[in-house]
Amino acid sequence: MVETWYAILSFMLVMFVILDGFGIGAGMLQYAVGKTDAERRLVIRAIGPLWSWHEVWLVSFGGTLFVAFPSILASAFAGFYLAFFLLLWSLVLRGVSHEVSGHIDDPLWRTGWHFCFVTANILLAILIGAALGNVVRGVPLDAHGRFTLSFFTNFGVRGHVGILDWYTVSVAVFTLVTLAAHGAAALVLKTDGPVHDRSERLAKVLWNTVLVLLAVITVESEYVRPDLFPGMLRQPFAWLGVVGVLGGLIAVFTGLRSRSERRTVMGSCAFLAGLMIAGAASVFPVMLHSTLATEDSLTAYGGAATGHGLAIALIWWPIALALSISYFLFIHHHYEGKVKPAQDPQSPY
Amino acid sequence: MDDALLWHRLQFGFTVTYHYLFPQLTMGLAWILVYWKWRHLRTGDERYASAMRFWARIFGITFTVGVVTGIPMEFQFGTNWANFSRYSGNIIGQTLGMEGMFAFFLESAMVGAMVWGEKRLGPRNHFLATLGVAVGSWLSGYFILVTNAFMQHPVGYSLAADGTLRLADLQAFLLNPWALVVFLHNQIAAVVTGSFAVAAVGALYALRKHHAKQASLFLKTGTIVGLLASVLVAFPTGDMHARKVAQYQPVTLAAMEGRFHSGPMAEINMIGQPNVKEHRLDNPIRIPGALSFLAYGSFYANVRGLDEFPEDSWPTNIELLYYSFHIMVGLGTIFIALMACACVQRWRGRLEKTPALLWMLMLAFPFPFIAASAGWMVAELGRQPWLVYGLFHTTQGTSEVVSGGDVLFTLIGFVGLYFVLGVLYLFMVGYEILHGPQSASSTVNPGGTHG
Repeated sequence: MVETWYAILSFMLVMFVILDGFGIGAGMLQYAVGKTDAERRLVIRAIGPLWSWHEVWLVSFGGTLFVAFPSILASAFAGFYLAFFLLLWSLVLRGVSHEVSGHIDDPLWRTGWHFCFVTANILLAILIGAALGNVVRGVPLDAHGRFTLSFFTNFGVRGHVGILDWYTVSVAVFTLVTLAAHGAAALVLKTDGPVHDRSERLAKVLWNTVLVLLAVITVESEYVRPDLFPGMLRQPFAWLGVVGVLGGLIAVFTGLRSRSERRTVMGSCAFLAGLMIAGAASVFPVMLHSTLATEDSLTAYGGAATGHGLAIALIWWPIALALSISYFLFIHHHYEGKVKPAQDPQSPY
Repeated sequence: MDDALLWHRLQFGFTVTYHYLFPQLTMGLAWILVYWKWRHLRTGDERYASAMRFWARIFGITFTVGVVTGIPMEFQFGTNWANFSRYSGNIIGQTLGMEGMFAFFLESAMVGAMVWGEKRLGPRNHFLATLGVAVGSWLSGYFILVTNAFMQHPVGYSLAADGTLRLADLQAFLLNPWALVVFLHNQIAAVVTGSFAVAAVGALYALRKHHAKQASLFLKTGTIVGLLASVLVAFPTGDMHARKVAQYQPVTLAAMEGRFHSGPMAEINMIGQPNVKEHRLDNPIRIPGALSFLAYGSFYANVRGLDEFPEDSWPTNIELLYYSFHIMVGLGTIFIALMACACVQRWRGRLEKTPALLWMLMLAFPFPFIAASAGWMVAELGRQPWLVYGLFHTTQGTSEVVSGGDVLFTLIGFVGLYFVLGVLYLFMVGYEILHGPQSASSTVNPGGTHG
């Protein structure tokens, strides 16, 4: 039961990173690939009206964490207090700037909100990356399962750590570049003309950078969490993740070379999913690692909801998932294919 | 700072009150949009399509602000109320999880297509998307109200060995009688807000003599729905809610009414100031026996006053509770009167020739927001000093690792951010209203360009 819920939560996070990662990545490249107002609007059209459905994966991840691991939610959310509010405020800024930029037909209005949109997306990528870095590195949990984090302490990765240190900053940079690469790959698929060509050139540069940074992160992670790679060897699911990473990278690079746009995007999704799955499987059952004393780490078994709440949720959760996917399909097929510049001025999408 | 509790409470109170200004409008408008879209499908009358398109744009802006201010609400359970989450997460986690999975996915998939995708989706699918948004937003409301109802009147739980709560009976929890009553009361209140907004824009256009056809449609829908909803929100749903309070939170009822002493023939105090120190109501204007009758069905029923309860079980802010309740009830009464006058005049065909009434309709739109906010303050202040009624004190619920200073910092951040959001929101809705509804033939008007 606990394993199932751990897998469900990992799945939801993977969905969020793949789907909203496209919006975040494409959003931060808006000025890099769009030189004119019309081109920047094309990027918004490419992200499409389902962006909020993508973001709901994060919100529902929070809700599902509440169902399955309430005490871990309580420790983590309170411990990351300030970082959490930065994340929430960035989400506010991003949602608003995405929606309002199209409402008033004025170049100055749009430019202002597009700029805001780019900034919020960059901030989001950094914050998500730093959060992932914190989960891998661990937090200063005490024996009562409580911790609190400053923004930074001595930038070291042991003992009383802060949110930012050399490791979490590297993960944040890696996430920023990877989501940008993911967004660029998807923009190539979704657009035509100059935006398409610029995205294609950027995608090549970004994916080469991802490759270099991946090597750096791998070495760093081995130093920060020595139990990570042994864990990976023990867990068949982690092997699946590694296959996803390697297969994804091959698909991305061959896709970029042979200009098969769909393969690149699929490869990019497999790469992101593979990384997350490998990470989640390797650290299982530890959900929050303690940098002070390993025995104080919070595990999935210790933090799971008790009683038959989990069994009940396992009945309604798949039904809700099936419904959710059906809503997505109902809307999505109206928006398939490459986006054209706005012919219908009534609609930004 | 050891007054962290105060900042935690203020932050949650501020962010939730501000947030709920937006969903009450969207939940109210949602079914009006469904109705117009349906009328358009059935009759082909372009007026309905144009009205729907115009209000869908306002809906879109409102929905966006509702979503972005709503996400912090869900996360604050963990960030600010970690001990409460540990204590009751096994139970309220269910509904918060369901809200995301059942309601948010539905709303978020449909809303973009509803606001912007009329041509792409075609009439039938566009109607379905509109319906999806309405169902999703009301479902979301239900799950939140079940969560709140558990805090007001906990049912379906058992106490585990470690002192936290366990879900014992999902059905009892989801069909909490308190939740069912509050759902009716609250959702109809949202329709009041929506209908007043529609009527106010209709009145504005009628007074300015712009968009005459739309003005009369807005006035028609706004006043008829407004009258129905204003009546229903008071009777039977408000009445049913008050009986629940009398039954499960008698001390709250006493505080709401400023009733310090027990006795039969309990009066309703229309006006008066609670004097908590002296245990009496100053300068009251009373209707004798009315409270006994409303709460228990007989003028001679004994209604318990605050003196029957130990002082540490009294709601912690009786004055604010009392004033909030009286503001809600007073405004609710005025709503019925205003909408009844408007409906009578419209039925006589003279509403658009009665500028005084149009002015009142136009200026009335903020008051349902005030009434709903006051109503929620009654519910939440009335619950004090409990976080989960009778089980768990508010003082026990906060995140002890978060200092008061940190909360004050984020509270100030929210105040600043939400101020800017409010200005932006009013500007954009004002822009849409001044722009006015457009007929289908004028959609290529450059003023309507988006991208």
